[in-house]
Formats: sequence, C-alpha cells, structure tokens
Amino acid sequence: MKNMSPRKRNPVECLPLATGSQEKARGDDLASVYDRRLKTYDPAGDNVRKFLDLLAVRINRSLAVSLVACVHCGMCVDSCHYALTHPGDSTMTPVYKADQIRRIFKRRLDWTGRIVPWWVHAATPASDEDLNRLKNIVFGTCSACRRCTLNCPMGVDTASLVRFTRGLLTELGIVPEGVFNVSRDEWETGNQMAVTPLDYLGTLQWMRDDLRTDPKLSGLEIPVVRPDCDFMYTINPREIKFDPRSIAQAAKIFHLAGERWTLPSAGWDQTNFGMYSGDDRLGGYIARNLYEAAVRLRAGRIVISECGHGFRSTRWEGYTWAEYDQNIPSESVVRTLKRYLKEQRIRVDKSKNALPVTFHDSCNIARSGGMTEEPRWVLNEVCSNFQEMHPNRTENYCCTGGGGLLSMAEYRPLRLESAAVKARQLEATGAKLVCTMCHNCVDGLNDVVKHYKLDMKIVQVLELVENALVY
Amino acid sequence: MSPLLQFIEDKVQIAALFFMVAVYTIRIFWLFKFRAVRERSLPEGKARAGVAYSLSNVVLPWAMESTRKNPWFYIQFVVFHLGVTAAISATFIIPYAPHWLASSDIVAAFQAVMGAALAVGIWRFIRRLHSPALRAISTPDDFAAILLMIAYFALGILAVPNRAERGEGPMIAFFILTAFFLIYVPFSKISHYLYYPFGRVFLGRTLGRRGVFPVRKSASGRRAEGDQGR
Ligand code: SF4
Ligand code: SF4
Repeated sequence: MKNMSPRKRNPVECLPLATGSQEKARGDDLASVYDRRLKTYDPAGDNVRKFLDLLAVRINRSLAVSLVACVHCGMCVDSCHYALTHPGDSTMTPVYKADQIRRIFKRRLDWTGRIVPWWVHAATPASDEDLNRLKNIVFGTCSACRRCTLNCPMGVDTASLVRFTRGLLTELGIVPEGVFNVSRDEWETGNQMAVTPLDYLGTLQWMRDDLRTDPKLSGLEIPVVRPDCDFMYTINPREIKFDPRSIAQAAKIFHLAGERWTLPSAGWDQTNFGMYSGDDRLGGYIARNLYEAAVRLRAGRIVISECGHGFRSTRWEGYTWAEYDQNIPSESVVRTLKRYLKEQRIRVDKSKNALPVTFHDSCNIARSGGMTEEPRWVLNEVCSNFQEMHPNRTENYCCTGGGGLLSMAEYRPLRLESAAVKARQLEATGAKLVCTMCHNCVDGLNDVVKHYKLDMKIVQVLELVENALVY
Repeated sequence: MSPLLQFIEDKVQIAALFFMVAVYTIRIFWLFKFRAVRERSLPEGKARAGVAYSLSNVVLPWAMESTRKNPWFYIQFVVFHLGVTAAISATFIIPYAPHWLASSDIVAAFQAVMGAALAVGIWRFIRRLHSPALRAISTPDDFAAILLMIAYFALGILAVPNRAERGEGPMIAFFILTAFFLIYVPFSKISHYLYYPFGRVFLGRTLGRRGVFPVRKSASGRRAEGDQGR
C-alpha cells in the first residue's frame, strides 16, 4: 500500500493467492461461475479500482461509524486470542487488523484522509499484491469472534469490519482456496458440503432404521416434508456427512417428547458460508432457501440444530441478507430441549452423566446470538458434575476455529498457536468433557485438545441429553 | 484587560465555535448519507435496553473485561476527561462568569484537575511511544492530539487564575489554542466524542434486539436472575 511505513511483516501476510480451485471451476464451466454468482480472480481485472468502488457502494452507516470512531487507544488488544498469544507481534492486534481497511476508507471517503493522507496514515492498495496481503489479514488472523468488539469503549465493531472486508475481496475472487471451495459447493448444491439429495435422504433413513432396532422406539419416524408440523428442523451438513449421530439423538428426543416435526427436502442447511466469506448474496440465497422451505411446509417454527454460525445466520443475520421479513419464529434446538425438560415431556437421570463437564460458549451464540443461559440450564438438569469455564458467556474465548478458519488450511499453524489461550482455559476447568452447542466448535476444540494433548472429550448438548434419557 | 485579550476571549472563540458547529453538522449529514441497515429478524430482547446499557458502559468499568482488568487505565480515562471538561469550562467561565474563579480554592481545584490530566497526558504519550502495539497503529494525528492536549492543560493551569494584570501571555496562548482546537478538532481524532454516541447506540441496538445487551450475567458463572426458562 502507498504511504505504509516499512516494518517487519508477519509471514501469514505474505502467503500467496492460490487459484487452482478457481481455475478448475472455470474449466468445468460451473453454473455459478458462468452467471457470476461465484466470483473468480482475474489478474487483469483492475482489481484495486473495483475494490475501491465496491467499498464506496457497500459501506453502511454502522460500519462507517466503526471506521471513524477508533481512537487507537489499544484497549481491545488484550481481548484477542491472537494478540495474547503473540505479544511481540503488533500485527495480531484487533486494531491493527481493522486499521488495514480503515486506512483505505479514509483515503477514499474521509475528509482528512483525502486531503492529508499521511497525517492519518490513509492509504490506497497499490496492487493485487496488497489486496492479497489484506486477504491474509482478514481471513487468516481473525476468527471474527467479536471479543474485541465487546471490549471496545467506543463500540467499534472490528469483527464486522473484518467481515465487510472479506466480502469485498470475495467479490474479486481474492480469497483463500478453502473459502472458494465451500462457497462453490453452497452455490452449486444449496449446502456447504455438497451433500446430494440421495446422501441426505439415505442418511436420514439409515438413522431411523438404526434407532428402530431399539424395541421402545419401533414407531420412530424421521419425517421429511411433512406439512403443518410444530417445527421444521434444520441441520448442519456435517451431521449428514461426518456425524449423523446428532440427527439420531435429536430424532429420539423429539419422538419421546411426542413432537410433531419435520425436515425439509431442500433448504435444510442452517449453516451459511456467506457469514464467513462476507458474501451477503450467498448468505441471502442460503437463508432464503431455508425460510421459504418453512413457509412451504407451514411449519410453526424453525428449530436450528446445534451450530454457532448456523444459529447466528439463520436466527439473525439471514433475514437481513435475504431482505426477508421474519414471519416464522425460530430457535435453537437447545431451547427446544429446555422446554421439553421444563414441561417434563422427557425424563432424564443426571447420574448417567457423571463425568465432570464444562461448557464452551460459541462466539456466534453468546456474543452475537444472545443465548447463554439455556445450555447451562439444560446441562445442570442432565449432568451431575457441571463446572463453569472462566471466563465464560460473552467473555468466553473462541474455539479458534471460528470465522471459517477450519476450511483454510494455510492458516492452521497460526490458529493453533493462538489456541494456547483456549487450551489453558480448558485445562483449568479440570473437566473430562467439554460440551458445546456448535459443530464448528467441536472441530475447533478437537484440534486444540489434540494439539495441546489435553485429556478431554468434546461433546454436544444433544448427546448429553440423549445419554441421560430415561424411557 | 487588553482589547487583544478581550477580542481573543470573546469574538474569536464565538467565530471558531460557529465554525466547529457548522463542520460537525456537515459531518453528521455525511455520516447519515451512508445507508442504514434495517433489521428484519424478530427481536428477542429490547433494542432500547441494549442502547441504554451500551451507552452506560462509560460509567460501568466492571461491564467490560478491558476496563475491569485495567482499573488504572479507566482511572486515567476519567482523570483525563475531567481535565478536558475543566479546561473547556474555563474557556467559558473566564470571559463570561469570571466571578466563579474569584475564590482561590476553586482556582486551585481547576488547576489540580488539569494538572492530573496533564500528568495522564504525558503518561499516555510515553505509552504510545513505548508500546510496540500502539506504535504500530499510531498516526501523526494521534501524536498531535495528545501533545496538543498536554499543552492545553499546561496553558489552562496558567490561565485559570484569570489575572490579566499579572501578564496576559498565558491567557492569550490558552485562548488562541482553544480557537485552534475548535477549528482543528472536527478533522482530527479528537472528535471521537461526536462518534461515541453513534457507535454505542448502533452496537447497543443490534445486540439489544438479540438479548446480548444488557449482559444478563456476570462472567463469574452465577445463574442469571432474569432467566425465567424461556
Ligand atoms: S477498536 Fe476500540 S478499543 Fe481498539 S483501539 Fe480502537 S477505539 Fe480503542
Ligand atoms: S474478532 Fe476476535 S479474533 Fe478477530 S480481532 Fe477481534 S478478538 Fe481477535
């Protein structure tokens, strides 16, 4: 960037742009590439100008305030797990990361930055190389956990600035390969793991048949497209692809609670990679699929399986991205479980979960979703030895796999270094089980546990409730 | 009092103040030219309660980990801004209500507050120079802001006794610097107080609707009293 003071760069900032998947997608003539929903990188595309134009068009009022309000006080520094684990590296601080887009905004749109750029370090990217560096900062050094946002006295929403910048770069195809691949799958198949309808229905049938081997569950159904139900259940494709036990656990509990529920045949993916890539159009497309499925089925509500960013995008952000006024209530399955327990629609024996268990708050659910008490209430009902993690709730640390980082292999070493904070936090609980209500956190925490050799198992709320069932 | 001091105390200040108000008005229009995003999800909590909580965090140092764990920083913040308030008040009191400064105790109180703020200012300047994390993000505007404030507090300490007969130099300098501030501040980071309410309101509204704000729980792990088992 012009006017940037020379200093030592973090090696992550220098990682090259990998475009192998993009070239293949172009070669395969994918529909999403052809009709330009999925953008690919064009080295001759005047990308800097496009970036600046997009910035000016897409910026909204609250982002503009976050860009002008920062006083460079540094209060956010100690809230970030990257900064805490890299005390000598000033490029890891939230304010440094936000400043990379802030200086471009100032140069392009703000008064002082336009007239005397050097006075406020305003700068314009000079080349695609600078845009690639920006990509590495916003995708590779931030899990968009929003911890810094809640610790900024000015209310600067650094996590939203990071997502906004990601969205601009996504429009130019300047994204990590993993982000491109998952976005491609979502655009092409309507779900982020390219699960086919056959896989989907086959897995549901398999889970149903498996559950029915229990004579007490012989009448159990996993209904698909049943209209007029109390709720439409939506899941994470990971549940189909890698861990369908959670679908079976939910189905068993719903059955025992006497619930009238259904899954849709399309629009069942409650996850949304648009949240991570910053692509509101992708976000809106996936969210709308889901909302419209619920309307088609005349469902009483939408229930979202355990997933942090899925909950945040389906319950909150998706309506804005899709420009869709919410017309059906929606909730996390953990709240549904709480209702069953309160209404005694299911019976549990907490002594069945005797191992010490702690709870990890997903960033998207606690800091951006407003749900911290329900999982604790449920865990206290179904576990005999619940121990709080510190800090917790809105102050909890990220699993370090947030922000889509699990799909970006090139940033894994830095992510695992930054996970030292989480590892210490987990270890201090003395728990044997770490419960979380997010599939992404399960994978993120499993990485932490493995890397730091902790003697802990990661579980989810549904699993513990199912294990405590008495029927 | 010389006609020059009188002119600088009064006419120049009023003109500069008008300039500042005009620039701020334009600035707010500029901010509101950026599109607002309409929330379309059904709320879980109350936006207003979120806004109130968000705005009150300035007096709730325990509400944010960053201030809870750095009480020294919070105290500095309070002292520094009390000094700013004292200095700004002095610019009105000296020309328009000089009798308020007739008591030497009141003058001493003003000087003590501005002296403490000056000490904090020097400390902050050193911190900005010394901390690699802060150095990496600091701009000439950041350094100028703190140096100007240090100079302002120093001149304020000399000016509040309001004894023109003992020499008008410090008073003239104080009022010239005030006028300069009024003109320069809208273009510098010192105008953060203009954005503060917007930043807090926008964040508070978003997180209030979602039930994140007001944070219902202490991070210590006690059960939320308001949790009625939704
Ligand atoms: S983002 Fe907030 S806490 Fe961080 S430096 Fe800027 S104003 Fe301070
Ligand atoms: S959002 Fe989280 S990871 Fe990103 S800068 Fe802020 S604290 Fe760090």
